[in-house]
Amino acid sequence: MSSDGFQSEAAGFAGLESMVAAIYEKSRGQGFGLTRPEFESILQEIARKYLPVDAAQREICDLYISLRAEELALARGCAAGHEHAWEVFLTRYREKLYDIAGYITKESSAARELADSIYAELYGTVTRDGQRASKLASYTGRGSLEGWLRTVMLQEHVNRYRRQRRLVSLDEESEEGVQFAIAEPEPATAVDSRVEAAVDEVLAALPAEERFVLASYFLDERTLAEIARTLGVHESTISRKLDKLAKSLRKQILASLGRRGMSRRQAQEALEVDVRDLRVNIRSRLAQETGGPAFSKKKAEAPAGDGS
Amino acid sequence: MAQIPKIVEQRLRAVATVGEHPDANLLGAFVERSLGKREHVKVLEHLSQCMNCREIVSLSATQPAVADVVSVGSASPSWLSWPALRWGAAVVCVMVVGAAVMLYQQQESHPVVSVAGENPVAPGSFTPNGTLGKAVASLQTPKSEPKAALAGKPTASGRRSNTANSADRNHEKPFEIADARPVSPFGEIVPGRAKEALAASQGVQSEPAMSDEEFFEANLAPRWTLSSDGTLQRSLDSGRTWEKIQVSNQTIFRALAANGFDIWVGGASGALFHSSDAGEHWKQVRPVVNGEALADDIIGVEFPDAVHGKLTSSAQEIWITADAGQTWQKQ
Repeated sequence: MSSDGFQSEAAGFAGLESMVAAIYEKSRGQGFGLTRPEFESILQEIARKYLPVDAAQREICDLYISLRAEELALARGCAAGHEHAWEVFLTRYREKLYDIAGYITKESSAARELADSIYAELYGTVTRDGQRASKLASYTGRGSLEGWLRTVMLQEHVNRYRRQRRLVSLDEESEEGVQFAIAEPEPATAVDSRVEAAVDEVLAALPAEERFVLASYFLDERTLAEIARTLGVHESTISRKLDKLAKSLRKQILASLGRRGMSRRQAQEALEVDVRDLRVNIRSRLAQETGGPAFSKKKAEAPAGDGS
Repeated sequence: MAQIPKIVEQRLRAVATVGEHPDANLLGAFVERSLGKREHVKVLEHLSQCMNCREIVSLSATQPAVADVVSVGSASPSWLSWPALRWGAAVVCVMVVGAAVMLYQQQESHPVVSVAGENPVAPGSFTPNGTLGKAVASLQTPKSEPKAALAGKPTASGRRSNTANSADRNHEKPFEIADARPVSPFGEIVPGRAKEALAASQGVQSEPAMSDEEFFEANLAPRWTLSSDGTLQRSLDSGRTWEKIQVSNQTIFRALAANGFDIWVGGASGALFHSSDAGEHWKQVRPVVNGEALADDIIGVEFPDAVHGKLTSSAQEIWITADAGQTWQKQ
């Protein structure tokens, strides 16, 4: 992490005022149309956003030092509509916007549309009271401006994709007829509540990074390389971590089930059972109890709308 | 590979109290490892429960450019990037000068540019006259040191779609290098292809050369840019020199699209102008849909061909035409 480096740098400044002056000078804010009081006001806004109200001066200094001052001044200069700031922004980032969009969408017309729509938000609009509303006003310099642009475009892309998927799903449902709409399956009530509680307890005790790795690998099906890249470690580190986690999870859950009154054998069986199989078995048992035709496993797994 | 019990997978997937999503600043800083320890853990905590944010972070981290901006140890202040910019500028200078020298040597041995003037390979629509004719004739020899043309992304077809771009002025302003991608004003004048044009004109069998249209687009089509004060500028010598073009007295232009001699410029308050003779004459085009004229600033213009076009407005509207601006629709 970067906080230790910031602290030694912050110690070199006599006070907050001199630090702000130095950061303003480095930011070239004047060239981007920002006065020093305006720049200081921006810094204070950022401190209010990320620090508690009673933050110590040292924390504030550390935060200020960590900011990308020049990119912050550039973004806020653009948000204020300053011409030179826009000139610099476009020179540096116009092509990158399209490159990022191309990487995200993998298709040129969709990339252009995405880049254009983000550009329009960055350029902003003038509100009725004459104020300019630009997305660049929300950039706070915590990371690079390019990284922020990339994240903004990804968020927009993901949101659009999910909206389209919802619309497509609704279209498909209406094509097939409402009677084929399948209700969400009941929660797996047949699963022993002690098992769920034990698993929840063990997962909650894991460090956030380990839960992140588990979710990324098993739920999102990310590759080891992708997870490693996200966390800034080597691929082999993630591989070893996953192996270690898989073994220790099982051990800890068994221990927790033991504390909950299960025998070792019961606990092991509980962990082996597939949750989906449990639901199917319950359905079949319910059907037999009501005297209806016995469900074969095949029929039970068939979609509800196939006429069976 | 590692396996976990299905019940663990199910409980991981169970909806948790996700809370407020970190904004783009925090997610971007997380990927670049610029956050302090406390915030890093807080973001990780959210990511462990939120699939959407995990997806964004993963896609962001695996983009190639991220490796260049990830900070190791302390977050480097932005002013440290200046040395990199200076070295980048030096590299581009060397490449541009080298390309100019190569071209000069080629022209010394094979006066191919003069062939372009004597045996016009331009399409039949091109009639050199006035300023344009003189400019074509002036493409005989390179006159001055080449400058890196940073206006948009010149392609072999000369087609370009620009938003407000003032990267290149006359000789006064030193160029800034926006990114590591070098752009040479001679990128499209490829001596080898020009040699083929000469050989073809003399009836010599050669490798298949670029078509007349491609050669015209690469060598004779004007280049365009917009200055920071919204003035349109044109170069008829592949970016070596630029001249201001008067389109409209009061309009500040923000976007342009050029396709050969066809040029569209858009700007403040819905102002849109078109020239089909490389800026010699202009006509104002008024986009109207259902009786409502476009009044917002035009910030994006695209015309991939002579008739199909798209405008982006500051109100995030898209206006499209399929008949060279006679009628419009909102997308």
